Amino acid sequence: MNQDEIDAFEKINGQLESVYVEVSSLSKKNPNDAVSKFKLGFVNALLIAANDVLGDDYRPAEDFSVFDVDSLPTTSDVAFVCGQYLSCLEKLRSDNIESEFGEWYWVINKRRSESFTKPPEKLKKR
Amino acid sequence: MEIPHVPIFLFLIAPTLNRDDPDLGCAELQSPLCNGIVVRSFLLFIGEILTIIRPRLTDHFGIPISQEKADFAIPFLDEDLPLYVDPFLLWKSPSQQDQALHQSMIYAFRSLITKGSQSERIAKLQKISECSEVGLGESATRRGVKIGQELAKSILEHFEVSKQKMGTDVEHIEEVQLFVDKVSKDRISDFACVLLKSFIVDFTLDQCGKYGIPCQKTTILDLYDDRKDVFKNIEVEVPINPNDGKPILFVPKRWLRFSPWIGYEDYFKNHYLKQYVEEGAPHPGRVEILNFNRDNYGVIDRYIKNREKSFADCKNDPLFSTIPVVSAKRLLAAISKLPSGKTNNADKKYEDQLCRLLPSLLYPHLDFAMEQSRTDSGAHIRDLVFYNNKSIGLLSDLWDKYSCRQIVFELKNVKELERDHINQINRYLKESFGSFGILVTRNEPTKTIQRNLIDLWSGQRKCILVLTDSDIDMMVNVFESKQRDPIEVINKKYVEFMRACPS
Repeated sequence: MNQDEIDAFEKINGQLESVYVEVSSLSKKNPNDAVSKFKLGFVNALLIAANDVLGDDYRPAEDFSVFDVDSLPTTSDVAFVCGQYLSCLEKLRSDNIESEFGEWYWVINKRRSESFTKPPEKLKKR
Repeated sequence: MEIPHVPIFLFLIAPTLNRDDPDLGCAELQSPLCNGIVVRSFLLFIGEILTIIRPRLTDHFGIPISQEKADFAIPFLDEDLPLYVDPFLLWKSPSQQDQALHQSMIYAFRSLITKGSQSERIAKLQKISECSEVGLGESATRRGVKIGQELAKSILEHFEVSKQKMGTDVEHIEEVQLFVDKVSKDRISDFACVLLKSFIVDFTLDQCGKYGIPCQKTTILDLYDDRKDVFKNIEVEVPINPNDGKPILFVPKRWLRFSPWIGYEDYFKNHYLKQYVEEGAPHPGRVEILNFNRDNYGVIDRYIKNREKSFADCKNDPLFSTIPVVSAKRLLAAISKLPSGKTNNADKKYEDQLCRLLPSLLYPHLDFAMEQSRTDSGAHIRDLVFYNNKSIGLLSDLWDKYSCRQIVFELKNVKELERDHINQINRYLKESFGSFGILVTRNEPTKTIQRNLIDLWSGQRKCILVLTDSDIDMMVNVFESKQRDPIEVINKKYVEFMRACPS
C-alpha cells in the first residue's frame, strides 16, 4: 500500500465504522425496517470507495458490489454487509502493518513507515 | 378513414360495439362508424374502458391522475362522491377569490329569495336546488331531484320571518338546515354549486386543459347571472359522462367536507344536546328542534357566531384518510395471530383486516377503488381493487407492459398456495386488470408454485406477485418509519420476480 491508499483506507474505514454503529442500533430495534433512499445512496457511495480500497483480493464477495435500491434492503442487511466490509478492511490492514517494540506501524511500499496504527483486531481480542 | 383523437373516437364507437361479442378484443372491429376499418390496436383498450371497476372520469379516458395530486375531486361516472361543498370553507378561506365567491353567492341567494313575485322566487329556489353536473352527495345514479314547491315556499317563509324578527339578512345559507325540515347538507351543497356554477365551469375548463381531459360541446343549464338576476344556459366544452351523455363539472377539493361546518348534525350534537337536553332525557325529534330554533332565533345566532369564531379548525376533508400508524400496527398484530384456513372465520377476519390495512399502506400511490366479494367454486373470495395512476415507475411499467389500468389484490388466508389459487386469479386477469395481479397470502409459495408463476409469465406474459405476512410486516414497518414507501415492497417483489423470470 502507498500513502494515498492508506489515507483512503483510514477515511473509508472510519466512515463505515460510523455507519455500522448507527445501522446496528437501528437493526436491533427493528431489523425488518427499510433504509431510506438517501441513506442507502450514502452507504452505496461508501461501498464503492471501499471496493476500490479492497480490490478484488479483499472484497467480501465477488457478486456483491453495492445495494440495489429497488431491492429494499433492510437495516439488518445493511448492518450485515457493513460488518463484512469492516472485517475485510481489517484483514487488509492486518496484512499491511508491522510491530516494533510494541508499537504498530503501516508498511508503505514494503517498508515499515513511521505512521502509527492500532494493533490488529485479532491480537487485541487475545 | 382518418381516425380522430383516440378518446373521442372511442367515445363515438363504444355504443356501436356489441359487448357480448366473443370476438371483441381479439378480432377486427366491425363498427358502422368505422366502415369496417381494422382497428385492432384499440380493441384491448376499448375492452378495458368499458369494464373498469367503479370507473372515474379520468380512468375512463385513460388519464392517470392520482386523487392526491388533482386539485378537484375526481368524479365517478355512475355514482356520487359522498362529499359536499361547504360554503363556510369559502367564507373562511384566506383566498380573496373564495371570499369573493362566497360574497357573490350570498348576494345572489338574497336576491333570489327577495326579488320577484312569490311564484318566481319559488321557481328560482327550485332551480338552484339540484346540481347533478358536480356529482356530489349520496346518489347511486348521479341524478338528484329538485325540491318541491311546498319546500321552496317553506324556505322563503323562513327568511321572511327571520328578517322580520332579527332584522338582518342571511349571512350563511347553511342556516336553512336549522330552521326548515327536509333541507339537509346535500341541498345546501347544491344551492352553493348552482350559484357558483359559472366559476365551476371555468375551473373545469382549466383542469381539463391541464390534464388533457377530452371535452365536448354541450349545454350547461341554469347559470345564474347576478347582474340581470336571471338564469341562463350556455354552450361550452366540458367533459361528458359516457354513461348518459350528461355534462360533468369539477369541484375544487378545497371546498369539500363530509358535513358542513354549520350544519344540523353539528348543531344537534355539540350545541343543542349539551345546552338544552338534560342528561338521560329522551332526545327530541328533528321537527321539535326546528320548531325550537324558529322560536329562538338568538340561539341559532349565537351558534353561528361560535362557529365563525372557531373558523381556524374548519378544514376541508380529504377524499381518503389513512388509518393511524398505531391502528396499522394493531391490524398487523391481529393478522399475525390469525391461524390460516377457515377456523373461527379466520379467513373473513384476515380479509377484513387486510381490506382496512392495504388501502392506507398504498395511499397516495394507489387510489382505492373498491373491495368486492365474489364466489368462486363455492369459496368466498374477497378482492381489493385500486386505480393505477402511474404515479411511480412501477405503476407506469404495469400500465405499459401489462395493460394494467386497475390493480387487483386477491386475499387468501391459506397455509400454502395451490395451483387452483393461481388459476383463480389468472382467470381474473383481463380487461382493466390487464395481465397483472397480486395474491396476498400467509407464507412464501412453494418452489412448484413459484415455477408455475414463472411459467405463466413465460407462456402468457401474465405477472402474478405473491405478498406474504413478512411483506405486509415490512410494509407496516416502513409505513411507521417513513424511511421508504410501502408500495416499494411491491416494487421489490416485482424486481425479484422479474429476475427469476427467463430473460
